[in-house]
Formats: sequence, C-alpha cells, structure tokens
Amino acid sequence: MGKILMKGNEAIGEAAIRAGCLNYFAYPITPQSEVAEYLAKRMPEVGGVFLQGESEVAVGYMLFGAAGAGERVFTTSSSPGISLMSEAISYIAAAQLPVVFVNIIRGGPGLGGILPSQGDYFQATKGGGHGDYRLLVLAPASVQETAEMVMMAFPLAEKYRNPVMILGDGLIGQMMEPVEFPDHLRTAPSDKNAWASNGMATRGSRQRNLVKSLFLDPEALNNQNLLLKSKYDRMRREEVRYETYNLDGDYRVLIVSYGTMSRVCRTAVDNLKAAGVEVGLLRPQTLFPFPLEAVREAAGRPACQAVISIEMSMGQMVEDVERAVCGIRPVHWYGKCGGDVPTPEEVMDVVRGLMAGGR
Amino acid sequence: MQIALKGLVIIVGNYGSGKTEVAINLAVHRRRAGVSVRLADLDLVNPYFRTREARGVLGRLGIEVVLPPARYLNADLPILDPAVAGLIRQPSELTILDAGGDDVGATVLSALHHVLAEAGGQVLQVVNPLRPFTDTHAGCRRIRREIEAAARLKVTGLVGNANLIDDTEPAQVIEGYRFVKALAEESGLPLVFVTVPHHLAAACGVEDWVCPALPIRRQLVPPWIRPADLGPDSSNGLKTS
Repeated sequence: MGKILMKGNEAIGEAAIRAGCLNYFAYPITPQSEVAEYLAKRMPEVGGVFLQGESEVAVGYMLFGAAGAGERVFTTSSSPGISLMSEAISYIAAAQLPVVFVNIIRGGPGLGGILPSQGDYFQATKGGGHGDYRLLVLAPASVQETAEMVMMAFPLAEKYRNPVMILGDGLIGQMMEPVEFPDHLRTAPSDKNAWASNGMATRGSRQRNLVKSLFLDPEALNNQNLLLKSKYDRMRREEVRYETYNLDGDYRVLIVSYGTMSRVCRTAVDNLKAAGVEVGLLRPQTLFPFPLEAVREAAGRPACQAVISIEMSMGQMVEDVERAVCGIRPVHWYGKCGGDVPTPEEVMDVVRGLMAGGR
Repeated sequence: MQIALKGLVIIVGNYGSGKTEVAINLAVHRRRAGVSVRLADLDLVNPYFRTREARGVLGRLGIEVVLPPARYLNADLPILDPAVAGLIRQPSELTILDAGGDDVGATVLSALHHVLAEAGGQVLQVVNPLRPFTDTHAGCRRIRREIEAAARLKVTGLVGNANLIDDTEPAQVIEGYRFVKALAEESGLPLVFVTVPHHLAAACGVEDWVCPALPIRRQLVPPWIRPADLGPDSSNGLKTS
C-alpha cells in the first residue's frame, strides 16, 4: 500500500496489527485515546480483540495473563495510567513475559496537564515499579518511526521475554504525518511453547511451563535477578540505537535530545549552521540501553567545548548524559515541561549563551 | 472559479480530516476577497493543533477568532462558551464554525441545535481520502451519518481535502478530486470546493475542475516548522463591504 496520512496514535494501532498483535487491552486517557478509538474500529476487522479494562490496574494484569498464556499483547496509556500499571509491569518483567507498552507522555507530576512532555524518562528507564528490572525503551521522533518501533517492539519483547516500552510525548501521538506500512508481517511467530502456560495438550508437550514471580528461597531469588541482569547486559551490548546529525564537522556544542524535542533541535542546528555556527546533535533512539559510548565519543571530539541535554523535563536524561560524558566536558541542561515545546529560536539562544560562556 | 461562500458555514468531518486547516485557509481566502469573516473554534475534544495557534496571524488579517474561554483552552472538558450562540444569532458576512472531529466532536452542534435551526447555514463535510476510514465512499458515508445523528444537522455539501501534508504530489490531489467528485455525484450533494497545496495549484489543473479550488497555506504545524506565509499583515487594500 502507498502512504497515508495518520496521527501517531493511529499509526501505533495499525503497526501493532501489522506486527501480528491481535490483543489490545487499554483504558482511554488523553493524549493517547485515539489508539483505543482506532483499534475499536480496526480490531474487529482483523479478528482481533480490543478490551477496555475498568482501570489501568486491571489492564496491567489482563496483559500479564494474556502474555503468560503466550498471546502477543500490548497496551497504550499516558503518564498517570502507566503509574497505575507499574506494579503489573514489575510482575511481568519478573515473570519474563513479552508485553509492549506505549506511553504517550503528558505533563506531570500528578494529574499535570494533557500537553506534550518528556517527564516520564526516569519512570521508563530507571524503574517505575519495584525491584531490579529494566524496560527496553524506544523513543521515536516521527510518525513513521513510531510505526516502525512498534513493529520492532514485539520481536524485541519476545527476544528478551521482557516488556518493551515505546516512549513518545503528546506530540508523537497527536501530530499527523505521512506513513507507510509494509504489506506483509515482518515478525516471526513467537517461541511461546518454550515458556507459556498455554496448556500441555495445546503444545503437544509433557513439559510443564510455569509463569511466576515469587521466589522465597534467597539463593533462587538472587539467581533469578542474575538471570534478569544478564538479559539487561545483553540489551546494553546489542540494542543501543541512536542517530547523529551534523557530527562530521568541528562542532563546538553537542546537543543530546530525543523524540519530538530533537526535531526542534535539528531545525536549530540547521539555522545555526546557516549563521556559521557548528552544533552537533545526537538523538538516542533507545533510552535504555542509553548510547553511553556514542555520547562520550561525540563529546570528546577536540572542538567540542560543551554538551547540553535538551528535554521536555526538568533534567532527567541529563543524568545519563553526565554518566556518559564522565566529566570530560561540562554538561548542561535546558528544558520546559508545561506543554509549551521549546522553539528552535529558544534552542538557538541557549546554544549561543553556552558558547558565550554565559551558562 | 471562485469560492462564493457567505452566511453561516459549519465545518465537520472525521478527526484529522483537516477541518481546522481548511477553516483557517477559507477564512483568509474570503477575507482577501473583501468579505468580513468570523471564525469560531468549537473543538471541545482535543487541545492539540487548533485554530488558536493561528489566532495572531488571523487577527492581523482582520479576521475575528472566537476561542473557548482561556482558562479552559488546555483542558479536554466539554465546555461551550455561551458567546457562541450570540455569534450565530448575529453573524458576520461569513461565520465559520470549526467543529471537533467525528460524531463526538460534532455533538457540540446538537447543543446549539435551536440557534442553528433558526440561523440556517451550510454544513460542509471535509474528506481526505488519504486518511484511514475515509478512503472509500462507504467510509465517507458512514462518518457523515454518524456526524448527522450526533449534530442533529444534515450535511449540505462536500469539501475535498486530499493531502499528505508536505509529501503531497499533484497525482494525489487530482485523484482525491475525482474521488470526492464521484462521492458528491453519488450522494446528490454539491461539491463546494476542493483544496490544493498553494504551490501545486497550477500542476493540478484546477482551472478545469467543476468546483472552485481553495489554495492551502499550512498554518497548523509542529514546533520545528514555520507556518506558511499568509502575505501582508494588514487588511489595507482589501475592499470592505
């Protein structure tokens, strides 16, 4: 099929279907409700199921149950809804189940507001729920990339038997861009018979599969955590993704920015270049695993004087940038999180201020 | 062929069909023809990509923009300003009401039913066949029925708005024009106008169309893109009525 014009939220729904996911459980919340609206119409057309839970808490455990039975399943929500699901996310990670979560972030904390924000960076990359677990976190910057990351998220969740989160701000969900889908599914069938409690008769096996997160024996629980850690270490080796822009020249400032914020920064980089000022941009596409080495290398280039994390939050990703840069360059932060996305002009002013040594 | 719309014009359509972009560009187009124009944003469903983003430039062109009360601008609450009813009762030469998307967005019109029935006016359904659910005539008819039921109003005309935003090519505009022309013939509704990205008007052969073309200069853009230039700010040189 050719290109069509879609909201990010609609593209998320269609991409999940194209990835072979026919189970969608969710509870509506602005600014992601169009996913539910879209799939309420589309799922019946393809023989799939959209079930609205009575709350996000319920949805979290509906996902746990369906994934435990070996079904490809996903949900979408926005910040407060993800908070409510966080207990189940911890259980799902502990039980080593593949589930795809999409968080179209709104302003927080608390009820906050319904305009775009990136305030859930910590929640997605550093926990949210309890215990030593990690989510593989993908951060798209366009509607096309959102669709591709959703289609990629299912095989990644199955590869690691771990939840994968797509982290987009409200703009990702609401903006419209042309998008193109592949005609055929790109995902291989899941290896669920090796681990799902889908019935011994169903899979023609005498092997009992047990889905659980309770390990009362200290040694068993430690071993369980070591096993999970080995998966997260493998993600750090194999799944780091990022994009660079204008990193070939002698840039004096390196911007690290993700999601739609990075597109504002990209326009600022173009405008500054036209004015004779070289600025580099590195956009993490995976937030966990974070592209630590790439940021360190880009920051270490001889002409680079300073690094700045520009985010729609009050200084969250900047902590990972500092961890990457390891003190070899000064690291700064600029951000806003009320819902007004910083403009290219604001970013240009901030960068000029850095170069003048004013910050 | 020129767009001659006057009176009360209500813009409906499925969400993402381009209602607000069409309403803004229609307002500017008519203002430039010397018509006094008021534009009311009745979208109570969603605060993203709305008329308010263009209120500055519209104001400078002499177009009055009526927005929801400021303290509710960023809420997703169904609050309707009573001033809108007054606006409908005392219309300017052209009053454009930009409703929210789908049947949900059109429900607000039902609340204004008694005023709208008195005032009369046209209800235009915007169709972009490059959007999900309106890529077939059956899909366009379904959304029309849903909107008519929710709004308690009949759609009186169609507006073609085939586009892929910045990726739009002339072939898609022409194909979209044919799609909506056939839909109009089949539904017995007039094809009121069809949009075309302003720089593609010549390439699309709009002079040969059976309806007027509305050139679109995109105003609703994400923060990293500049809105298209709408020309000189003042309304000097426009003939006044």
